[in-house]
Amino acid sequence: MVRRLEAMREAVRERRQAAERQSAPPDVLAECEREGLSWMQRVCRLFVRQCEAERPVIAPDQQIVFTRTVPAVPAIYSDEAWRQRFAGGKAHELGPISNICADWGLVLAAGLNGRRRVALLTRERRSRDPEAVEFLDGAVACIDALMALAGRYADEAERIGRDDVAAVLRRVPAEPPRSFREALQALRFLHASVWLCGHYHVGLGRFDQYMMPYLERDLTAGRLTVAAAEELLAEFFIALNRDSDLYPGVQQGDNGQSLMLGGLTRAGRCAVNEMTRMVLRVACDVTMIDPKINLRVDRDTDLGLLEFAASLTRRGLGFPQYSNDDVVIPGLLAHGYSIEDARDYTVAACWEYIIPGRGMEIVNIGAVSFPAAVDSAIRQGIEAGDSFDGILARTRANIRQQTRDRVADYRHVILPPAPWYSVLMTDCIERGRDLSCGARYNNVGIHGAGSANAADALVAVKRFVFDEARVQPRILAAALAYDWRGYEEARETMAAGPRVGNNDDDADAMLRFLFDAFAEACEGIPDNGRGGRVRPGTGSAMYYVWLARGHDGMREPAVGATADGRHQGEFFSSSLAPSPGTRSRGPLSVLQSFAKLDYRRVCNGGPITLELSDAVFRDQEALAKVAMLVRQFARLGCQQLQLNTLNVATLRDARVHPEAHRNLIVRVWGWSGYFCELAPEYQDHVISRHMHEF
Amino acid sequence: MAGPADQTGIVFDIKEFAVFDGPGIRTTVFLKGCPLRCAWCHNPEGISPEPEVLHSPAGDRRVGERLTAAALAARLNRQGGILRDAGGGVSFSGGEPLLQAEFVEAVIDRLDRLHVLLDTSGYADETRFRRLLAKVDMVFFDLKLMDPDLHERYTGCRNEPILRNLQILSQSECAAVVRVPLVPGVTDTAANLEAIARACHSFRRPFRVDLLPYNRAAGGKYGACGRRFSPGWDESRPANADTTVFARFGIEARVV
Repeated sequence: MVRRLEAMREAVRERRQAAERQSAPPDVLAECEREGLSWMQRVCRLFVRQCEAERPVIAPDQQIVFTRTVPAVPAIYSDEAWRQRFAGGKAHELGPISNICADWGLVLAAGLNGRRRVALLTRERRSRDPEAVEFLDGAVACIDALMALAGRYADEAERIGRDDVAAVLRRVPAEPPRSFREALQALRFLHASVWLCGHYHVGLGRFDQYMMPYLERDLTAGRLTVAAAEELLAEFFIALNRDSDLYPGVQQGDNGQSLMLGGLTRAGRCAVNEMTRMVLRVACDVTMIDPKINLRVDRDTDLGLLEFAASLTRRGLGFPQYSNDDVVIPGLLAHGYSIEDARDYTVAACWEYIIPGRGMEIVNIGAVSFPAAVDSAIRQGIEAGDSFDGILARTRANIRQQTRDRVADYRHVILPPAPWYSVLMTDCIERGRDLSCGARYNNVGIHGAGSANAADALVAVKRFVFDEARVQPRILAAALAYDWRGYEEARETMAAGPRVGNNDDDADAMLRFLFDAFAEACEGIPDNGRGGRVRPGTGSAMYYVWLARGHDGMREPAVGATADGRHQGEFFSSSLAPSPGTRSRGPLSVLQSFAKLDYRRVCNGGPITLELSDAVFRDQEALAKVAMLVRQFARLGCQQLQLNTLNVATLRDARVHPEAHRNLIVRVWGWSGYFCELAPEYQDHVISRHMHEF
Repeated sequence: MAGPADQTGIVFDIKEFAVFDGPGIRTTVFLKGCPLRCAWCHNPEGISPEPEVLHSPAGDRRVGERLTAAALAARLNRQGGILRDAGGGVSFSGGEPLLQAEFVEAVIDRLDRLHVLLDTSGYADETRFRRLLAKVDMVFFDLKLMDPDLHERYTGCRNEPILRNLQILSQSECAAVVRVPLVPGVTDTAANLEAIARACHSFRRPFRVDLLPYNRAAGGKYGACGRRFSPGWDESRPANADTTVFARFGIEARVV
C-alpha cells in the first residue's frame, strides 16, 4: 500500500477523524412538531436536515471524500410519541429498516437525476393517490438533499484548490459515473448517507458485479492502471472504516458492511471477474474490519481463486466467508424466489441471504432455542413415561410452538417510512410505494440456535436412557433439576455420548431431525403477516450466549443444565459448530456432519465455523490445501463456511480457560499439538511466535 | 492376500487435514510405540507402545486406543471421497509405524483406493520394511545423524538398520522424501548435513530432502506424559538451515 494510504489508515485506526465531528446533530423535532408533519414527512425532513448539517471535510491527499461530521441521528418524535407509532404492533430492533441491501448497480447506472426522473414520472401517473404523492415528493426531496451535499463538497474542493475532487463531484452522484473513481465516489456518498436517517446494517451487495463495468472501461481505454485502480479501491475500503464507530451494532464491528463476490450472473453465467480478484487482493493489503468479504463458490470454482481467498483468510480477520451456490440457489428457489433473483443473492449484515434491491426481508426476528425445545421434551416425556419417540414428538411440537411465537411477535411489525432507502431499491419509486410497505420479497428469518448441544442431548438420552438403560429416567430428571449436583456419574455418562461434528450418523441424525422439524414448522406458516414466508436458518448470532445465560432483550425460553452433560450457564454451540468442549475429529468430519442437513429447506443462512491455526498457512502449498478444503465444503453440499485463523487473543484466552479451547491446535515443529497440553513456557513461546508470524 | 481383519493396533491420534504430511488433503494415523529415544522427540506420547493417561490443565486424556484393522480402515474409508477428490490420502506416522507393520498392512489392505504415505524413522528389520514398502505409494524417511556413535548417543539406537532400509528405499520405485530435523548443534552441523547430502547423492536415484527447523516447543508435551525433557543443546540458537551443501551434490533440498 502506498505511503499516503498507510498514513490514512493509521489516522482512521486512531480515530483522528472524530476531531471533525460536530458536538450535536441538528434539532429536527421542533420544526416537525411546529409544522405538524406526518411520519413520512418527518423522515424526509430528517434526511434533508442531516445532509444540510454535514460540513465538507477534505483531507489534503484524499481522492474519495465524505467524512461524517454529524455525530448522531436526532429524534423526529418525542419518546412517548415514538412509542405510540408502534402501538398495536411492534418495532423491529431500533425501528428503522436495517439489515438489507440496496440496488447499488441500478442507482450508480441511473445517477440520482435518473432516479429523480423516475420518481417524477411515477408521481405524474399516481397524482391522485395522496399517499404515493407524499412518498414521491419525499423521495425527490431526499435526492435533492444528497445532490446538494455533494455540491457543497465540490464548492469546498474548489475553494481549497482540489479541482480533481470538484470535477468528480460535479458529475456524481447526480449523473452516471464515467470512471472507476467516479463510481467509487458516488457509492461512498450513496452508502454512507443511508445511516444519516437512522438505518443501519447497510449491506454493500455484489460489489464486483456492479463495479466491474466502470473498472473495465477505464482499464480498456488505458485511462487507469491496475495499480492506480487498486489504490482507489484501498482508499474506498479505508473510508468504510472512518465513521463506523457511529453505526449501531451489538459490538464494535457489527455494522453490516458486508460485500459479496463471485457466483453467477442473473443469466446464470460465471460472475467472477477482475474486480473479484482485485477486491481480494486489496482487502489483504488493507486488513481492516470493513468491508467484510463474502465469496460465492460452487463445486467447480477455480482453485486459483480459492487460493487467493485463502491468502485473505490467512490474515486472521475471519473472512472471506463462503457461500455455496450449489445449495443456496436451490434453497432460495424452493422458497419462492425467481431463478434470476436467486442467482443474484448476497448476504445481509452477517450471513442471511437476501436479494439486493428486491428484498425487504426481516432476516432476524429471533431464534428457536433447540436446547429449550429438547430439554422441556425430555423432562415432560420422563414425567409422562414416554418412549424415546414420544420425546421426539414433544421436541417437534415445542419447535413448532417456538416458531409460531416468534412469527406471531412480528406479525404486526411496523416499519417506519424510508423514502431515501426507497430511492436506492429496485422498484419502490417505480411503483410509488415506500419500502416500508414491502418489496418483491418480504420473508422473515429465524435463527436455529444451540443445535449441536440439542442434538447431542437427544442422542445421549436415546442411547443411555433408552437403548442401554444406563441412566434411569428419574435420575436424569433429578440431575437436570439440580444442575448435576450430586449426579456426577450420570453427568459423565451422558457427556460421553456421540457428538455432532464427528460424522457420527446417530448424532447427526438428531441434528437433521431438529432442522427438519424447524423447516416443517416454518413451512406450516404460509404467510408471515407481511405477504412473505418464514425462513429457518442455521445461525445463532448472540443466542449461543443469551439462551444459556438469559438476556433482557430476549423472548426466547432460557434453559438450565442440559442432557448432554452441560452445566447451567455454559455457552451453547455457535451457529453450526460442534458443542463447546467436544473433542472433534477434525475439519473433514465437521463438514461431513453438517453436510447431512437439507439446506433446500433451511435457507436463512448461518455458517459452519472452522478454526484453523494460522501456522496452517505457512506456504503456498498449504494455501492450496486450504483452497481444496473449501472446494470440499462445496462438493459435500454444505451451505456456508466461516474459516477462522487463530490469533493471539484466542491463545491467551486458552491459557486462562483451557477447558474452552481443548481443540485448539498449534503447529510447533513439523508437527502439531493441542495447545492446552503444552507446558506454560511453551505456550508462551507459541503465543510470541503467533504474534510475529505475519 | 489381505492381512486379518481382527488384527489390532494401538493408535494415539488420528488427525484430519494434516497439511504437512504429504500431498493433497490427508488424514494422518499416529501409531503408538517407538524403538528410538530421540532427545528432541516432540511426540513423547507416541513412545510407549501401551495406552497411557496424559495430565494437563485441560483435564486428563487417555492416549492410545486399540483398534481393529477393519474398524480403522472403515473410519478412513468414510472420508475416501474427500481424500481421493482432493489429491490426498492417508499417512501413517507415529511413534514408529513399522513397529506395528502387520497392523498397518492389514489396514492398507482394506483401504478403498486411497493414496498411502508412510512416515518412518526407518528403524526396523529389513523384511518388515520391504513388506510395507510394497504396499505404500510414498515414503517420508527421517534421517537424523549419519555418525553411528552420535546417532546412538542422541536416539539410543545405532543407525545401521536405518541406512540399510534407506538403501532399499532407493532401489524401489516408491516416491520418497528424506526429512531431516534440524536440531541446533546436533543434526544441523556442517559435517552431518554434508554426510547426509553425500549419502543421498550416492544412491541410484537422488532423494528430495526436506529440512525441518527445530522449534523450541518440542518439549511442551513432556510434562503431560510424566516425562522429563532435558535438551542437551542450546534451544535458543536458530537452526542452521543450509541448503547449499545439498545443492553442491545436486540434491533438491528445501526448508519446510
